[in-house]
Amino acid sequence: MGSSASTIRPTQLPDLELFWPTHIDELIEHIKGGAKLLAGGTDLLLQARNQGQPQKLAWIGNIESMHNFAEQDEQWQVGAGISLGKLISNAAFRRAAPAIVDAAQLVGSVQIRNQATLLGNICSASPAGDTLPALLVHEAEVETAKSHSLLLDDFLIAPGQTALAPGDILLSVSLRGLRANEISCYYRHTERKALDLAVASVAIRLSFEDDGCTIAAARIALGAVGPTAMLAKQAAESLVGQPLTKKSIANCATIAAEICNPISDFRASADYRRLLIRVLVGDVINQIEKRVQLLP
Amino acid sequence: MNTRLILHINGNEHSLPDAWHGRRLLDYLRHELSLMSVKEGCGEGDCGACTVLVDGEPMCSCLLLGGVLANRSIVTVEGLSDDHRQRFAQLCEQHGGLQCGFCTSGFTMMSAWLAEGGSETGQNSSDKLLAGNICRCGVYQQLKKVIADLL
Repeated sequence: MGSSASTIRPTQLPDLELFWPTHIDELIEHIKGGAKLLAGGTDLLLQARNQGQPQKLAWIGNIESMHNFAEQDEQWQVGAGISLGKLISNAAFRRAAPAIVDAAQLVGSVQIRNQATLLGNICSASPAGDTLPALLVHEAEVETAKSHSLLLDDFLIAPGQTALAPGDILLSVSLRGLRANEISCYYRHTERKALDLAVASVAIRLSFEDDGCTIAAARIALGAVGPTAMLAKQAAESLVGQPLTKKSIANCATIAAEICNPISDFRASADYRRLLIRVLVGDVINQIEKRVQLLP
Repeated sequence: MNTRLILHINGNEHSLPDAWHGRRLLDYLRHELSLMSVKEGCGEGDCGACTVLVDGEPMCSCLLLGGVLANRSIVTVEGLSDDHRQRFAQLCEQHGGLQCGFCTSGFTMMSAWLAEGGSETGQNSSDKLLAGNICRCGVYQQLKKVIADLL
């Protein structure tokens, strides 16, 4: 060991104790012992640096089952070890969950996306977390080690707070891929083009009847306009049973803007966020219409 | 508990000392291996000055612990081919693609990744892919020309 290892302390990152469990049971023992689960680490290491906690980390890279990333009957399973970069670079996943890929591509930078995981984004439970509205429209369910599966909508409780019990861990998320005549899209407003957090965001999934224009089903989720990403059920229902028209889109956008619950902060005022939701709903639907034309 | 951790850095095998398992790759590269091309800018994954290639993909070495990199291949500017470094340097000179030089290592690594066909979806624009590299002097327009000429 080089002597410099103990003397050079260029940052406040404390010396971290690292464990390499190879099984879930072993991981849970470490969690009980006070370790935090380390996946991508892009948030966790900053916490360690800025708050001095956690000091013990259990890395999941050696646990094979955490790297599950597969599809069965249009249902995709994404393990805790899967980075956003892996999602984006998978062509089949891009077709199955365009809204989630739209969102994943807006997180951080290439470098961050290669490290950060989808499940990390879920666990952070930021109201502005990009992937969360997109996951909601893809009917995401999370699976924890205590073996119950939970709707993402129920898992997200408040800013930074989830339904994960102390000592429990998130193993994977499953989500519904698109079926025939379906398309999804996510878009957000930011002050900067990259490396920024959403001021407001919208994810929408539309299912069309065989005629290709009447809406058979819709799901709409909003981000950064409430304590958690939220489904806008009434707004979605307003679209069903009719073709998209300027009027129906405007009506849907108005409902979404009414039912969201934004706060005012240094990014934007609550009123401005409501206006943004109204605009973004229209933008996302327009984008979906463009994507529909590209469908085979 | 983990006995020997081997990292492949610029083509050489390094056995990572225990003391570095829970420390940043960035510090190991700079302070143990004297690979001074790897810069610490923000230390938070925003600026990209510490970018290295891990198994061919760009990552921020300030957000990686040494202990999670067993058997991975890590490349810094020192490990790039002379040919690529010289071309990048010549193009920077030609277009004025650097001023203080602090971000240059990060951009060099990204240019090497892009030159190898790096992309996320097979069709992203290099503008978007360079969003994680910040230049405080603001030579972005010149660097865009450098990257465009390089590819």
